[in-house]
Amino acid sequence: MSALAELETRLGADWRNLLQAHKNAEETLETFTEAVKDVTTSDASIIVFGSLARFELTPGSDIDWTLLLDGPSDPRHHHVSRKIASAVRTLVDKDVGREGTFGSLVSSHDLVNYIGGEGDTNSNTTRRNLLLLESRCIGNDDAYNRVKRNLLQRYLSEDSGLWRREVTNKLPHFLLNDMARYWRTMTVDYAYKERTRGGAGIPLRNIKLGLSRKLIYVSGLLACYTCHLNFEDAMGREKFYSQQNTAGLVAKLHETLKMYPLELIASVLSKFPQHSSATKQLFDTYDRFVGMLLDENTRSGLEKLHSDNCANDATYQEARTLRREFQHALSTIFLEKTSLLGEFTIRYGVF
Amino acid sequence: MREIGFSTGAIALDDYKQALRYLALLPTRAIELSALRFKELRPLVSALADLDLKKYTYISMHVPSLFSAQEEVELVSLLNEVPSSWALIVHPDAIHNCELWRSLSSRVAIENMDRRKNCGRTANELSKYFEMLPNAKFCFDIGHARQFDPSMAEAYTILTAFSERLVQVHVSEVDAQSRHAVITYAAELAFREVAHLIPEHVPLILESRVSAEEIERELLKVADVFANHSLETVAC
Repeated sequence: MSALAELETRLGADWRNLLQAHKNAEETLETFTEAVKDVTTSDASIIVFGSLARFELTPGSDIDWTLLLDGPSDPRHHHVSRKIASAVRTLVDKDVGREGTFGSLVSSHDLVNYIGGEGDTNSNTTRRNLLLLESRCIGNDDAYNRVKRNLLQRYLSEDSGLWRREVTNKLPHFLLNDMARYWRTMTVDYAYKERTRGGAGIPLRNIKLGLSRKLIYVSGLLACYTCHLNFEDAMGREKFYSQQNTAGLVAKLHETLKMYPLELIASVLSKFPQHSSATKQLFDTYDRFVGMLLDENTRSGLEKLHSDNCANDATYQEARTLRREFQHALSTIFLEKTSLLGEFTIRYGVF
Repeated sequence: MREIGFSTGAIALDDYKQALRYLALLPTRAIELSALRFKELRPLVSALADLDLKKYTYISMHVPSLFSAQEEVELVSLLNEVPSSWALIVHPDAIHNCELWRSLSSRVAIENMDRRKNCGRTANELSKYFEMLPNAKFCFDIGHARQFDPSMAEAYTILTAFSERLVQVHVSEVDAQSRHAVITYAAELAFREVAHLIPEHVPLILESRVSAEEIERELLKVADVFANHSLETVAC
């Protein structure tokens, strides 16, 4: 039983929309896997992102993908990439995003070696963070797992504070700061897209920013917190961190990050029964948001809605209410300084 | 004091007598006799009684990495002639009939594989073999583990999962073509990440392909990488 299903039962909740979106994603992943089953190798993995990777697939979802390469160059990878694009077109009738971040070949080199600095472009930051927070692999996952673990190895081995004895809160600051930066990058990119594209589509993008985009930041924060939380007691944690044990922490965090965002959030928040009420509100709200996207008419209406017409659009206003409720639940869980999650978030996630 | 030695195959291919001559004057007390091809096994087993192995406190034998199902019966029968205290290092993908190997019980040591293989590379994949061979020991190939996952996270997972079974460690660089080579600086750094998980009593067997002149330098390099670490200093 998944952590999400367990939490749903324990809280007496009904998250049928999340279940439906999960089933949609499973079916699509199965079809996609079958369509591209002979193209991946130990050096090349197909990665999907977005709602499909989050197991929140709704009828209007697109499929963002990359062919991740971690091995010798092969000119034929271009043909492999075209085959994947062709398989994706049979599943959805939408193109991948316009920014060129997805739908192409991506080499592991830039992802692993350019964290910060001039070489860390917007696309590179996006790919790297989404690889950790919101990705699924189709077919052979050797390259996928290798690159993810190499990324974590960099964040954790170069985090000098994490391995200092006198530092008792064991949070990976380098990783956490990059995830926070990525969240802020998404908010800034939203403003950029509003300016450059304007009009239709922006209202739905705004709702997604406050819900699904924020959700992946929350899951990233909690993944970082597990570096401190996932020990039986303080003594176990102290022993683990008594010397630089990067490989061990990479292994643990890699396992944690195998969970899709909703599952990861459910698995951590279920350990904080004092936040049950806000946790229920968080997932209830998100379930209703996914429910709106599952309704083709509602989604289509939101997609076509022009930013000038938001004020009088009942569906948009309903979605805005969900966004506010979601934020309220997050503030209760993460910005209350008397709780551990609040203490961590205020101290490390904000300042 | 940790025992460090060489695989005969790494320094002299199938010429184990030559390898023993190279190692005779060095202060190594661990050795792995290598018969990587099926045709090498019978001559090696036949010659065991005549080999001067007195200085070695730890001896293992690397069994052939490729054989047919028919050859497997003969091979296991030959291995019964090998001294019972020696670990028999086996590649899991070579095994056809687990029942035959079960008869060798804890003398069998399953080795983790490099990334060319589609089995035996991860803790999950290895656990299937240990379910079939519940008494088997474990030979950890740190070069294979690094080639499969340079972050060494899988190495950590494997070492913590099978620490009770660990009987020896293979050490070498494993290049992109899965060839054993001289240990590079990058490999040294990676090996240090998990060195603390390898108990002092577990011998290190080098598989670096080196010339006779390079043997001592490679031994010293490995001794340094794995020095001053013990399992007790860190939690799993």
